[in-house]
Amino acid sequence: MTRYTLITVLLVLASFVLQQFLPALTGLHHSRILLVQLVFLCAAVTVGQPTMLLLAFVCGFLWDAQCTLGPHGGDPEIYSQPVESLRFGYSILLFGAMGFLMQGIQPLFKQGKWYFSALLSGIAIFLYLAAEYLLITFVRGNFIFAKATALQMAYTALLTMLFSPLVFWMLFGIASICAHSINPEAAKKRRRHF
Amino acid sequence: MKPLNLIAILLFLSGAVWALTRSERTVREIQASYFSAIAPFLKSGSETEAYARSFLDEVHHSKTLEAELATVNSEMGRLRIVESRYRELERENAQLRHALDFKKATSFNVAAAQVIRRQPTTWWQTVEIDVGEERGIGTQLAVLSNEGLVGIIDRPAKDRSSVILLTDEACQVSAKVEDSPEVGILSGQRGQFEGTPLLRLKFLSKNAALRSGQRVFTTGRGGIFQANIPLGAIVSVEKGAEDSEALVRPAVNFADLGTVFVVLSKDPPKK
Repeated sequence: MTRYTLITVLLVLASFVLQQFLPALTGLHHSRILLVQLVFLCAAVTVGQPTMLLLAFVCGFLWDAQCTLGPHGGDPEIYSQPVESLRFGYSILLFGAMGFLMQGIQPLFKQGKWYFSALLSGIAIFLYLAAEYLLITFVRGNFIFAKATALQMAYTALLTMLFSPLVFWMLFGIASICAHSINPEAAKKRRRHF
Repeated sequence: MKPLNLIAILLFLSGAVWALTRSERTVREIQASYFSAIAPFLKSGSETEAYARSFLDEVHHSKTLEAELATVNSEMGRLRIVESRYRELERENAQLRHALDFKKATSFNVAAAQVIRRQPTTWWQTVEIDVGEERGIGTQLAVLSNEGLVGIIDRPAKDRSSVILLTDEACQVSAKVEDSPEVGILSGQRGQFEGTPLLRLKFLSKNAALRSGQRVFTTGRGGIFQANIPLGAIVSVEKGAEDSEALVRPAVNFADLGTVFVVLSKDPPKK
């Protein structure tokens, strides 16, 4: 189990590297594949709560290191109403919340019904983006929700979800190499069947 | 709840609170460490993106590009002549200044850069350029194109920098409208990723007499941007109870950013 946990953390770190090669798709409402979030969500359903929280902290911390904007600066007399930005660290809480959401259907995953988790990963990505957008709206005020924003979120969630079977396949492979069962009930059923 | 889970939640929350309470400086240090660790992959990633973009551009616009190249070539020839004339005048000007014992009062030094990555984050309108601290780039330097103001440097790294575009809500610029006493703060609008984004000029006077097409420039106040950099043109004016706001079409075509210039040293902006 320790080996599986360690490899999962490394997989999350590798997803940060791969994310650099995935640009926004301008033809598809600037949607993108959120590989880091996807790997985290898929891994979250295969591990216990402490490991999930560790992964959430690592992902949130590094994601914010990658995305946080600095202050505008300038003379405060002229720029008297600076536009607020999201604080460094907010993603840690968002990743944690998504992780708990995924763990909610862990019993189904343990029965071997991984496709429910794949579907939920898409929903979780959509909720993650919606929560981020609402946080931005909350700190900046003036609620604006354009159709293009909704489409961007929906396409991002859908595109990302399409890759979840691949990530689950990798996680099953890693678990098998580490001799660790991530869905023990399904394994028991298979043994009984044979 | 299992004691181990409870301890994990407490540790997680403590970690989150620790991260949320970091100072701006510490956050910048964390970001610098992160980007230096990931630098080789960023370079490969932006090269892949640039290659894919140039390939698609080539496929879709080869004819257009051919025509544009011919125009650019002829324009370059014309500009070379203009430049040589300009150099002559500059030399003559310097000689005259020297003769009159004038001190050189202004300097305007720029570094040319290529946009190597577009919108690397989900919500912020940013690009990355291929010059960084090695070339003297620091935070909050203005970035221009030959059409006008592009944005402001947010995070310089060793050999690349992140630029917040003028179309982002977080990029605020003190602006004035030509042939008018109106001044205000110009910034981008949230969620404008599609088509031509419009900027919003806020804090104009209640009865601002503006018309469509009037040009907007930087005032030079606020300590960041130099004066008289083109920003865009007025599209419409919305009158409010206490002040007015105007929608502005940007001077720069943000969908087609290639070469940009970072202002390294300049006339000190007015405070």
